[in-house]
Amino acid sequence: MLVPQLINGLTQGSIYALIAIGFVIIFGTMNLVTFAHGEVYMAGAFAGYFALTLWQLPWYFALAMGMAAGWTLGFMMEKVAFRPLRTAGHMPPLLVTIGLSIILKDLVVLCFGAENRPVPSVYDQTVQVAGTQISVLQILLLGLAGFLILGLRLLIYGTKIGRAMRATAQDHEAAYAMGVNVNRVFSISFALASCLGGAAGVMVGMYYNAVYATMGEAAGLKGFAACIFGGLTSIPGAILGGLIIGIVENLTVQYIASGYRDIVAFLVMVLVLVLRPQGLLGRRIRVV
Amino acid sequence: MQRKINKVGIFWVAFILLYTIAPQAWGAEPIYIALSGPLTGTYAEYGQNFKKAISLGVEWINAAGGVNGRPIEIVVGDSKGDPKESAALAQKFTSDKRIVAEIGDFTSTCCLAAQPIYDRAGMVQLSPTSSHPKFAPGSPWSFGIIGTQAGEGPFMARFATETLGKKKLGVLYINNDWGIVAKDMFVQGAEQTGAEIVAVEHYFEAERDFTGVLTKLRGLKPELLYICSMYNDAALISKQRAKLGWTDVDVMGPGSLYSPKLLEIGGDAVNGLYTSAVFFPKDPRPEVQKFVQGFEAKYQGTPNMFAGVAYDAINLLAETIRKAGTDRKAIRDALAQTKDFPGVTGKITFTANGDVVKDYRKLVIKDGAFTLYE
Repeated sequence: MLVPQLINGLTQGSIYALIAIGFVIIFGTMNLVTFAHGEVYMAGAFAGYFALTLWQLPWYFALAMGMAAGWTLGFMMEKVAFRPLRTAGHMPPLLVTIGLSIILKDLVVLCFGAENRPVPSVYDQTVQVAGTQISVLQILLLGLAGFLILGLRLLIYGTKIGRAMRATAQDHEAAYAMGVNVNRVFSISFALASCLGGAAGVMVGMYYNAVYATMGEAAGLKGFAACIFGGLTSIPGAILGGLIIGIVENLTVQYIASGYRDIVAFLVMVLVLVLRPQGLLGRRIRVV
Repeated sequence: MQRKINKVGIFWVAFILLYTIAPQAWGAEPIYIALSGPLTGTYAEYGQNFKKAISLGVEWINAAGGVNGRPIEIVVGDSKGDPKESAALAQKFTSDKRIVAEIGDFTSTCCLAAQPIYDRAGMVQLSPTSSHPKFAPGSPWSFGIIGTQAGEGPFMARFATETLGKKKLGVLYINNDWGIVAKDMFVQGAEQTGAEIVAVEHYFEAERDFTGVLTKLRGLKPELLYICSMYNDAALISKQRAKLGWTDVDVMGPGSLYSPKLLEIGGDAVNGLYTSAVFFPKDPRPEVQKFVQGFEAKYQGTPNMFAGVAYDAINLLAETIRKAGTDRKAIRDALAQTKDFPGVTGKITFTANGDVVKDYRKLVIKDGAFTLYE
């Protein structure tokens, strides 16, 4: 049962990775930690849910809907809540994200209720690979996560806006002086991160067949943990962090008990951070 | 001008008076009974069923002349399925002098949290659904009418081992008061029949990812998996089990799974699932048919077991108050004497502890519908 658990862990971990990458993009470019990212993920999951159930669309449209919802929400949040606070220091935007997270969660509870909403199964088949039965959906989700990450890489390293994002991440004042439209970069970075969060929401909805208003709490925390684990500003680090947390969780279920999954996952994270404070792939931050 | 305004004023006063008096056209003060249930939140469907069935029962009781010439009125409180809320509601209800008895709550955990408060205040706490063996014996004021896991666990164990002939059993349970007891009773019952328990795994409330624990259970190769959970978790577990391709196992669970929502959420994945029920809408007994038809006419849906026990709870209380009057202590004493009350979920006779012993029906899901197992 080791191989199936590893696959469970990889699938779950790849979803954590997508959330973690969102944190990295936002922190990297804007130097901002957002606590509303879990709720963006939840909003994406609901958009996907409505696409699958109300409009009976195929899963790829649901995924697109979730990504579009994430993008729109991220774009609006940056415009309304963060741009006016650009010069206000670290604390005010942080508090705004906490407020936004509560508002989004409670809005969904008020509009749609607090209960679980059942998501129809997308692929129930399994395939036999080298003597192990693997769910088609798990393969699909792993593929999707890989595809999204690859797309992101192409965007960051192969396009003009990607270069502007990297420049802003290095030093946004210098980038501004060189003619980079920093405001636009911030908007797009936030929207892009939220878009990946929305995609993760739809994927997890399809995977566990459930969406609900509070689903973002735990997922946001895990994603943030994966981001810190990987080194805060490193995308490969976030991916690695997400996958490790996912795998450790599932191995804990297999060899200890289901109730210990979060304890062991976070324990591993704490240990790594004690030994390597900069995270797995992070650079040591120089304190002047 | 002055005079004119006065006339209008008098008209309004008369109008308002008429309106406030009109609902009490009975001329008698209503008898207040409290209902504590999860009207919102994860268990909302169950709480709403309570409310619907009890409203229907009250409507019929009042239409037939009320109880000793007085109408019954329900004071509803939403516990959200949260033990903190059910305890707060208990404080509120017991300090309200008009309220004579309480029905609720839904989960055993909520009932147990509120129990000491009803016990101290001296008010009947009649839970339609608490099946925790420690609930009713915990206080002379607490009564349960759904039967306990001490009866259902061994019954289901015999269903699994003797009727279905399964020898290797796995158990997956929710880690709360109710889940632990449901698991213990099933395991005890199964061990007495000589079956082997190959795996016992738990999960915490609000868990949605069961792939890991199902993969582990699968590796231990049980012939039958007993799921101690509510319908929504059981539906997710079944769907995720189907997704993992684990088909060489039978699935069974206690009567908590018996809900149309299980079929709705679970879809094809719950076909072949075994469960039990104390209330079956196709039961030909006249009291059952009267209730089912009345419920369907009023709410456009078939009542489930939870509506059935809630309906029994209000009728049982009304009958008790008819005999004993509205004193809280007198109601308790009369309720404890209940014998062979003809409920829609079977005859109700309280044991010395305030529990009942139920007859269970074996059910299996076939082609997306609950059917009697034969």
